[in-house]
Amino acid sequence: MAMTRKQKRLAVIGGAFGFLALATTLTLVALGQKASYFYTPADVAEKGVAAGERIRLGGLVATGSIARAGGTDVSFAVTDRIDTVTVSYSGILPDLFREEQGVIAEGSFDASGHFIADTVLARHDENYMPREVADSMKARGIWQDRE
Amino acid sequence: MVFWIVAAALTFGICLVLLAPLARGRADAADSRAHEIEVYKDQLLEIDRDTARGLISSGEAELARAEIGRKIIRLSDARDAAASMPRSHSLARWIGALAILSLPLVSWGLYAATGSPGYADQPLQARLHSDPSQASVDELIARAEAHLATKPDDARGWDVLAPIYLRLGRYADAATAFANASRLDEPTAARLAGEGEALAAAANGRVTEDALARFEQALALAPDDLRSRYFVALAADQAGNGDEARRMWQDMRADLPEGSPWHGVIAAALESDGADMLSERSEAIEGMVAGLAARLEVNSNDVDGWQQLIRSYMVLDRPQEAQSALERARDALGAGSPEAGHLAAFGLSLGLEVER
Amino acid sequence: MIVEIGHFALVLAFALSLVLSVVPLFGARIGDSRLMGIAEPASLSILALIALSFAALTVAYVQSDFSVANVWENSHSAKPMLYKITGVWGNHEGSMLLWILILAAFAGLVAIFGGNLPATLRANVLAVQGMIAAAFLLFVLASSNPFERINPPPIEGQDLNPILQDIGLAIHPPLLYLGYVGFSICFSFAVAALIEGRIDAAWARWVRPWTLAAWAALTGGIAMGSYWAYYELGWGGYWFWDPVENASFLPWLSGTALLHSAIVMEKRSALKIWTVLLAILTFSLSLLGTFLVRSGVLTSVHAFATDPTRGVFILMILIAFIGGSLALFAFRASSLTAGGIFHPISREGGLVLNNLFLTTAAATVLIGTLWPLLVESVSGEKISVGAPFFNMTFGPLIVPLLLAVPFGPLLAWKRGDLYAASQRLFVAFGLSLAIALATFFIVDRVSALAAFGIAVAFWLVFGAVTDLALKSGIGKVSPSVALRRFIGLPRSVFGTAFAHAGLGLTTLGIVAVSALEVERIAVMQPGDAMDVAGYELRFDGLFPVQGPNFTEEQGRFTYSDRSGRERGEIVSSKRLYTARQMPTTEAGIASRGFSQLYVALGDRAPDGGIVVRAWWKPQVLFIWIGCVAMMLGGAISLLDRRLRVGAPAARRARPARPAIEPAE
Repeated sequence: MAMTRKQKRLAVIGGAFGFLALATTLTLVALGQKASYFYTPADVAEKGVAAGERIRLGGLVATGSIARAGGTDVSFAVTDRIDTVTVSYSGILPDLFREEQGVIAEGSFDASGHFIADTVLARHDENYMPREVADSMKARGIWQDRE
Repeated sequence: MVFWIVAAALTFGICLVLLAPLARGRADAADSRAHEIEVYKDQLLEIDRDTARGLISSGEAELARAEIGRKIIRLSDARDAAASMPRSHSLARWIGALAILSLPLVSWGLYAATGSPGYADQPLQARLHSDPSQASVDELIARAEAHLATKPDDARGWDVLAPIYLRLGRYADAATAFANASRLDEPTAARLAGEGEALAAAANGRVTEDALARFEQALALAPDDLRSRYFVALAADQAGNGDEARRMWQDMRADLPEGSPWHGVIAAALESDGADMLSERSEAIEGMVAGLAARLEVNSNDVDGWQQLIRSYMVLDRPQEAQSALERARDALGAGSPEAGHLAAFGLSLGLEVER
Repeated sequence: MIVEIGHFALVLAFALSLVLSVVPLFGARIGDSRLMGIAEPASLSILALIALSFAALTVAYVQSDFSVANVWENSHSAKPMLYKITGVWGNHEGSMLLWILILAAFAGLVAIFGGNLPATLRANVLAVQGMIAAAFLLFVLASSNPFERINPPPIEGQDLNPILQDIGLAIHPPLLYLGYVGFSICFSFAVAALIEGRIDAAWARWVRPWTLAAWAALTGGIAMGSYWAYYELGWGGYWFWDPVENASFLPWLSGTALLHSAIVMEKRSALKIWTVLLAILTFSLSLLGTFLVRSGVLTSVHAFATDPTRGVFILMILIAFIGGSLALFAFRASSLTAGGIFHPISREGGLVLNNLFLTTAAATVLIGTLWPLLVESVSGEKISVGAPFFNMTFGPLIVPLLLAVPFGPLLAWKRGDLYAASQRLFVAFGLSLAIALATFFIVDRVSALAAFGIAVAFWLVFGAVTDLALKSGIGKVSPSVALRRFIGLPRSVFGTAFAHAGLGLTTLGIVAVSALEVERIAVMQPGDAMDVAGYELRFDGLFPVQGPNFTEEQGRFTYSDRSGRERGEIVSSKRLYTARQMPTTEAGIASRGFSQLYVALGDRAPDGGIVVRAWWKPQVLFIWIGCVAMMLGGAISLLDRRLRVGAPAARRARPARPAIEPAE
């Protein structure tokens, strides 16, 4: 089957566009499914989060809320001074995880309304507050920069 | 002065380097097409090599040679057409000279706006070895620290430094220093009690288990160590055993010699029924601080006074007030004055915000 | 005085780069060789001045001169000397200075080795480099000057972020910047070609080595950063799809595409416009990376300091350079003549396919990285796009490319024979399939997907070997002839083979760790032991240790293998850096062959034990060995004689200047 040069070029360009369309679809589907939204405890109370939906929960670690149940299980409360959500986690907490410090817990609510985190992120150094946490808490007038 | 000579030499040298190509006579740039032909020649050689190695078949090589040959012919035609390109311009020399003249103007102008030409380097070693009478308290401490960094097993050095740390509010350092002294020499009641006090102070006045352990060790060595007795009682009080604490303090008062400074402390402790001594101390300091602040409102040129005030606020953990005192001091001393600069650096070292 | 000389040198370099960005450009326009001649001495002088400035800052760090604000903020007198020096670029201001130093060094290299370039092209390239240098020098002087002073000086510094106090900092940023900034040369060449309105085979030959050098450095930089994160962060991960990692990965993807399209352009004069566009895009992505890291608009480990004015400034540089070059491209691209034609199934066709996949993959990574910014600016909602997104999009896009890689080098130029190439690859195919099946049936827990991944990895390695074997004629000619031909192969053939095989090794490491990693987490008391993938890890206890500027608690472990024989000790610790009161975790790692036992300490449990997290990472080292092989491939290719283009013979006859011999 002999194709003319023009046909060949069309086939190549058509193939490239088909490929790009495929990649675009893939990207959009993935963004719809895999992007996780950021919530503060107050957001959770206001908007509600479906059980099983993966979210990033951010706020401060409430004073006196860190409880280690034997082994590597730990639970702590994340607060934005308006509402509080209790988080369960099993694993090693980050080095800079402390009371009254900004923290982001990634995970989802289980059917009974407990938040189960699979990842906990704290700030990286003493100047650093997770940006989302800082922004949303500033927006609510709860937290201020030192500067 | 040396700086200005070096800077001038740098500027001058760079100008000279740039002048060199301008001063050269007109030189023709080689035709860029010649470069291209060079590449094609090289490609032809490469094809020969590849065929010799058997990487490509002779048929493919022939095709490739023909293609490169066509490119060379096309280039040679274009080359003849482009032969008459303008080669120079009368303005060129002037433009070059102007550009070079702009170098010192831009660089010296910009540096004058941003640099600090008269400010010598301040390497830490040299500063630590300068005349002690010129040094600030911080520098003296730094010297002691530097000495201990090179001779960390000097227990006496730690003995000297530890109470200074405690006084300055560097409680964690104080605790480490007392601990080092105990470890290197031997634990004495004074060292253990000092460490205990530093630990308690670091915990905002709460006599922690660690701190209590130190005081009890101290009492085992010297049962009448007043500081330890006081803090053990305080620990009991904080643990909710107010009656026991009261009894211990009363026993202690009975043993005190006439004129001991502990009389006042114990009286206060008993009076507030176990309010801890550190807040007691804080109250005293606060009285003093308020007085100092009032005095500075009147006599606002007292740099040392301001410094003391700012530090006191920081020790009392009231950074906002320290900040505001720093700003008032700057206004009083005049922004930009050397005294204000000194205070600004002092403020920075305490972690305050300073407008630069 | 040294500090102020450094500051002055920086200012002078800025003035000089202004001259460099205007005068040679004008000279090239009117054809005046004297004005064009300024370009080289100016570029070399800028290099010298910035080197002086960098040296001055280094001296300030070494001497702990806390009158320099930058030193005070990022150093400490008790810091080990190595970290005093690496601390120079462990902060925003210093790292920008390093960026500019490397930029100037690349321009200097063009000035020194550019003798075989047409004069106008050389002048224009150096002028564009001058513009980039001027923009970034202005940025440093105006918003992040490392030479700001404090009077009187504080007595002690605030210390460097402990995470950065590691040998990794000595290597990772310089290598990464060599890559980022190296692409600036390709960019300058592209813009110069657009300014001149013509582009030729010499251009492609000139751009290739710079692309190779930048690409090899970037590969090394990314690999180093990945290994650093792996052992320093204590999370056991080697790639997090963190925005800043993506920012370095984007220019790598498009740089890889550029590397391949430049071959087509050099050999066949085809894909000219595309190559120029790629050169512009690659450096634009490098600039975007710099912007993302420096502005702090994205949350990341790498955001040293976040200052909105800095972000806006870099954004303006970004817009000026990307917008300007793309406008020039739109305006001038039509003047570039199209080149040779080729059949879709050919070496060129393969390279086009490679470009298509790589740029699409780069586009998805770009979208995933910028999507949160976009959503937040449009709807105000904060979202995060993490590993699941990239695994779902990048994975499917890259796997077909990996499958296609071994075919590329076996296809002929212009018109290839896919059937013949497949036949030649039959052995490689059979071998990788056999290995995959063997692991699938012999090793526990290997899923079909993992077996497929292993097959792909070996396919790449054997494909590269096949290419070498075919080119040296093994099997067709006598062994001694084959050996001679093997030794005589062009270096670029070895470069290709190394790079492609390296890709396979990296794939192998990634697949093995993802599929076979074992993770254990437990609370341990001294004397306790736990089983990690057949190794017994015994906890010997915690021991306090005093470091120079930190205190640490070392957890000591001994591990023994399946037969119960003791194999060695692992020390994992938690450090507290006293100046910043900042704790860090130092993971303990023991290598067994290419696999590693990785131990990190957690918090103390209430009952006096300590949380211990241990991983068995099978074949993990291949991830970085593969990267090193890729880097080596780039370096070997760089040595190829073909990349050294001779100067035209006309030059040699000129008595005024010493002759530049054509390099051979």
